[in-house]
Amino acid sequence: MMRLIRILAQALMAVRAFKVRTFFCLVSVALGISAITVIVATTEGAFHEAYLMVERFGPDSLMVIAGSDEARAVGQRTKTITLADVEAARQAFTSAYMTAPLMAVEGTTASYKNNKYQTLIIGSTSDYSSAWNWPVIEGYDLAEIDVLGLKNVGIIGQDLLRELFGTENPVGKFVMVKQVLVQIIGVLSERGMSPTGVNLDNRLIMPVSTVMRKIINETRYVTLFRIRFLDQENLGHYENEMKLFLRQRHALADDQPNDFRIISPMEIIKFLVALTGSLIVFLGLAGVICLIGAGFVLANLFLLSVKERTREIGIRRSVGAKKGDILFQFLAEAVMITTAGGVVGFLLGLVSSKLLTMVAEFPIYFSWKSAVVGLLLSWSIGIGFGLQPASRAANLEPIKAIRE
Amino acid sequence: MDETTQPMVLMDQVTKSFRIADQDVAILKGIDLNVRRGEFVAVMGPSGSGKTTLMNLIGCLDVPTGGRYILAGRDVTKLTDDELSVIRNEHIGFVFQNFCLIPYATVYENVLLPSLYTMKSKNDAAGRAVDLLRMVGLEHRTRSKPALLSGGEQQRAGIARALINSPELLLADEPTGQLDSRTAEDIMKLFVRMNADHKTVIIITHDPNIAGYASRIVRIKDGLMET
Repeated sequence: MMRLIRILAQALMAVRAFKVRTFFCLVSVALGISAITVIVATTEGAFHEAYLMVERFGPDSLMVIAGSDEARAVGQRTKTITLADVEAARQAFTSAYMTAPLMAVEGTTASYKNNKYQTLIIGSTSDYSSAWNWPVIEGYDLAEIDVLGLKNVGIIGQDLLRELFGTENPVGKFVMVKQVLVQIIGVLSERGMSPTGVNLDNRLIMPVSTVMRKIINETRYVTLFRIRFLDQENLGHYENEMKLFLRQRHALADDQPNDFRIISPMEIIKFLVALTGSLIVFLGLAGVICLIGAGFVLANLFLLSVKERTREIGIRRSVGAKKGDILFQFLAEAVMITTAGGVVGFLLGLVSSKLLTMVAEFPIYFSWKSAVVGLLLSWSIGIGFGLQPASRAANLEPIKAIRE
Repeated sequence: MDETTQPMVLMDQVTKSFRIADQDVAILKGIDLNVRRGEFVAVMGPSGSGKTTLMNLIGCLDVPTGGRYILAGRDVTKLTDDELSVIRNEHIGFVFQNFCLIPYATVYENVLLPSLYTMKSKNDAAGRAVDLLRMVGLEHRTRSKPALLSGGEQQRAGIARALINSPELLLADEPTGQLDSRTAEDIMKLFVRMNADHKTVIIITHDPNIAGYASRIVRIKDGLMET
């Protein structure tokens, strides 16, 4: 044991003595590891984001949106889902604990004093905040009575708040929406951009009944409805049932496409992962190429080093070093360098991720995982590419080596 | 035979041949050599006589093709590579013509080198290294790199290194080959001192002046001992 430590000290001495070799090996490994670090952090970031989105969406819920895929693709939102559909679904799916319609009215102008701003009006049932895990930081959430009583009240998003009120406290004030005075009763917390680049904070939430009757004069159709189940594990099954149920209610023939779209948590994850997936593949490829390149740099410089240090190896062998001791020393030198490269690479990765997030909306999430992956990879490069030079060093014949 | 009368080196009809271009070339053709403990022997011979090959065999850096070699009572003819490493480490101190110091290590670290590879757990090498460096007169150069030292100083460091594991046998291959005659004399006096200190010393040389320090001279020519 002491013997191994003494040989490790020799390796460290050589690492410090051969500075040029150490520098080039270290830098090339660091570049590769930094790329890998960014990739791992991005992958984790994507999953983390997906997880957050699902948490907000509700891991136990399905969202049924009116209009076929085709119609949505060209920007149309056909009216296909009725309040009757929602009510029928509530009665048909007995394991659902919440079934709530939602009305979205885009491009509506809201004004306060002289300030005007185009916003998204959401017509919701009560408890919007808790239903979407979106805290109200001031005032109150929509209550049952607001919906039943068609109250002219709303809770406001941060972006709209800034545009209309500036720094003024909006709670209790009135906003004009399509000739209707709406009293602000609550303020939502800041949520930022969605992965697709939509500003989530530009919105005004009102009772769905108020929106339908007083804002757009709609009695039948809703934009979407949300249904939450007690038994989350059967969600896939419910998704299929919902599809059949609505097709039947809408009397669609077998060759007709769905006139609605069902979004499940799984779909959100798939979507988000696909969004960052190509970037991850690209970065991953670059990282792997960098790492392999680093490995060859290491192997080459170590082979040169073994040639240059032939006499040293002969000396060590003649004073009693075994083949294994020489192998161990050179491998240790390689692993020490790649470990240092790994650490530097990880720090480089941290810095470049910060830069990436400044340039683009980019999901980055650092955990111990990226550090561990980086460390394991740098060790495997050290061992993998250091083995051949090290065994060449170990197998030098002492009598020839000493006379170099 | 007890410890004191048992020979240090006992070679019995030792041969060594190398395969060069599909032909076996015999370098040593049957060497009988008996070096007693505490002896100071010079091996002389012209270049190409096989004295370097003999030195490699005595030093367990290589194994004979034929014959038997007993070192300090132990048959080392058929030992494995690892076992030979242990023998070299514990029983033999090498002194080389070109000093063979590790250039990036300090004099002190070079002297310690054999002690790094020892299997013995009790190991006060650090203290011994300081003593040895004082003995060879290098206590003021311990932290220097070998390149900053004169040839004579480098060889003193080499001798200190050879002694660090307290081997019974000192084996020197042309130890003064790269030194001027005055420095060579100082170095040879060190060997004489070691010999007086009960070390067995074998020196390979072609220089009769150097061989003159030995108590016995054996000559080798064309792979055979001259009688």
